[in-house]
Parts: sequence; C-alpha cells; structure tokens
Amino acid sequence: MGVMRIGHASLKVMDMAAAVKHYENVLGLKTTMVDKAGNAYLKCWDEWDKYSLILTPSDQAGLNHVAYKVEKEADLDTLQRSVEAWGVKTTMLPEGTLPSTGRMLKFNLPSGHEMRLYAMKEYVGTEVGTQNPDPWPDGLKGAGAHWLDHLLLMCEMNPPEGINTVADNTRFMIEALDFFLTEQVLVGPNGDIQAATWMSRTTTPHDIAFVGGPKSGLHHIAYFLDSWHDVLKAADVMAKNKVKIDVAPTRHGITRGETIYFFDPSGNRNETFAGLGYLAQRDRPVTTWSEDKLGSGIFYHTGELVASFTDVYT
Amino acid sequence: MIFDSRPKVNVCVAQTGESYPCATTESLLRGMLKLGRKGIPAGCVNGGCGVCKVRIVEGTVTSLGPVSRAHVSVDEECRGITLACRVAPATAVHLQVLGKLEKPFSTAPATVAGESATLPTRQQQGDM
Repeated sequence: MGVMRIGHASLKVMDMAAAVKHYENVLGLKTTMVDKAGNAYLKCWDEWDKYSLILTPSDQAGLNHVAYKVEKEADLDTLQRSVEAWGVKTTMLPEGTLPSTGRMLKFNLPSGHEMRLYAMKEYVGTEVGTQNPDPWPDGLKGAGAHWLDHLLLMCEMNPPEGINTVADNTRFMIEALDFFLTEQVLVGPNGDIQAATWMSRTTTPHDIAFVGGPKSGLHHIAYFLDSWHDVLKAADVMAKNKVKIDVAPTRHGITRGETIYFFDPSGNRNETFAGLGYLAQRDRPVTTWSEDKLGSGIFYHTGELVASFTDVYT
Repeated sequence: MIFDSRPKVNVCVAQTGESYPCATTESLLRGMLKLGRKGIPAGCVNGGCGVCKVRIVEGTVTSLGPVSRAHVSVDEECRGITLACRVAPATAVHLQVLGKLEKPFSTAPATVAGESATLPTRQQQGDM
C-alpha cells in the first residue's frame, strides 16, 4: 500500500547531447524514448518500467521534479487526501502528462521541491527478463548501474529565522506519505536541530534524504551498484571519460554506503554507491549523528567534511 | 613549468593583485587553483552550481560550455560576469572574484605560493 519506491527524477541540463552521453556512457543507462519537446527518457538495465530519468533541455541545471511510484491507482486518491489534510495543496495531472505514465499527484514539499506520485508507468522489462534470467546482460556500458536508488535534496534552513524545512519535510514524509526515519543529524547548542534526515519506504536505509542548506536545491541522484569493486570500476570509468569526481571512492558512516560523487556535464551531482547498509525497518531504532561527529557520518574514513560537498549543488 | 608547455597568458585578480599563469585551453578556475589559496571553491566545474563567479574586467575569454542562468543573469552576462570554470583566457585577463569566490581572496595573498603562481606581479607573461 502507498509509496513503493523512487520512480524517476527529472533533471534540467544545459547540453542535451553531452548529458545523454554522460548518463549512457558513464552510468550505463539507455535512452528508451525522446519526446517531441526534445526531452530524453532513460532507464537502467535492471529496471523494468520505461524510464527512471528524464533529461530536459534548459538554461540551467537542477531538479524539475522527483516522482515516487505507489502500488495501486487508488493510493493516489488516498494520498491526495492525506497530503491535503497535512496542509499541502495538490494537483492531479491527467494520464499522458508524461508519456507512458498514468495520472500523477503533484505537490511541493515544504522545502519547495516538486514531488509527484504515480501508479502506472509502461512496463518494458529488465534487460535479463523474467524467464531463467542471467545475472547481468551483455553489452553494459560504463558503470552499468542497476537502478536509480534515491536522491538527496538540499532544503532551506535558517534556524535563527525559524526556518528548517529539513524538519518540515521529515514530518510531512512521515505524516502524509508514511515514510519512516532511519538516520538523522542533530546540531545546535542543545543538539535538537534536525539538520539532515534519511528516510525510507523500502527496506534500504534511504529512499530520500534531506540536508539543510542556505537555499533549496538538488544535492545528488544516486545509482545502485553491486559491490565495492564495482564502485572502484565506476571511478575508472569516470577517469576514462574525464568526468569531474567530487569525492573519490570512500564509505559513508551514515547508511554505511560505499560511494563516489561526481558531476554530470551540467553540474548536477551524481552518486554511484554499493552496499545495502542494513535492513531498514519501521521498528529499527533511529541512528543519530551529532554535530561533532558529522564528518565521520558523511565520510567515515577521513572524518572530515569536504567543503564542496555541502556548498555545491544545483 | 617543465611539464607544461601549453601556451599561457597572465590572469590577474583585481581584489588582491595576485596573478597566475593560465593556459589558453584551461578554465580560469583551473588556473586559479594553482594560486594555492585555501578554500577556492572548485564545485561542479560544469557551469551548474555557480560557486566560481567572476567578472571579466579586461581581456577576452573563450567559452568552454554553457553557464547556468540560475547563477548568471542576462544582465550580468552583459556586464562581463560569468563562471570561472566555463571560460578560458584568450588574452591576458584582469578579473574580479564575486560571490562565494570572494571569501578565499579576502585575506592578503599567500606568502608561499606555487613556483609559477606568485605574489602580485606584472611580469609573468614573458616566460609562458
């Protein structure tokens, strides 16, 4: 019932050809469709719905919207009621607003980010199929990412002004969309300001994450890889393709993920990560990171925050 | 520099008078990093995040790719404002650092700089 998983991200890019080349050759996605407006739709080999990434031509970088898939068509009506009851306005976009996609419930998170929910997207199947499948298909490009796993949104936060949309979003996701909290960062003199949260609907440590910043934006979209070795190989692919690596292979304390951060040709940050971390469950106690240990939470080995990691986003 | 034979020009930062050699094929930002100043924000280096904003006061630059409109407006563009990661110098350049790029230049120039990125000088073009 309700939200199942992240369905797609729609990104603004400033050079379509370069963007498509990046997501195909570096991440290993394939273009499944291009619409009349010139938007490209792509998917990973292990995903079964038609697309998980939309690239739209723009004069800037950033996120258009993020969409989550719900299990049943009726969930959209139920969730529309709960989102409205929470005090957030919604719009039901008719089927076909996005190609190969059913109606979508559209609203803005308290941080301003546009979120959409949908129940139907055209099924095209994974590249290995469902009948006696091989573990992976031939002809994978680049990192050969399995699936779009989560995204991290930078959320406006200004405690002296009483603005903390990380906390607002977190409450909204729990109360209106029935997500659960897995990890959080608490800062401030009393350690009571929720400056970052990781939230789930699946059994992985995060399907979405929120981090406080001076203004709202997109921090990164993340793709799943099998193993630490795949993370290393992904870094090789990036070097080969002259991709700007933001943070070389390392481990997060938070979520325990093994990770690389890098940028697409428009400056949108990507992550390839491996490791399911732990079994995320509703009754698992929430992990808390304190202000003085935040460095270890983000980059476990060095324990130091990289300035660009928190200051740079689209 | 022994291992770098690319043609270079001089780039001068207005606020501090520091200058650095920058290859005509590399971005102003990449060259600037050689100043060794702490905190020069090399962000996405692809024109999207806007942390390396500069105004070209003198000289001409060539574009290395698109610059996000969210960070450089049409009006700003007309006034010579751009992102240092997205332009390479075609001639010697005099630039002003803006926004997030101002902070690392808010103190006096570093006393120990790289061998070819030095304290304020006007004589660097000769050996590039």
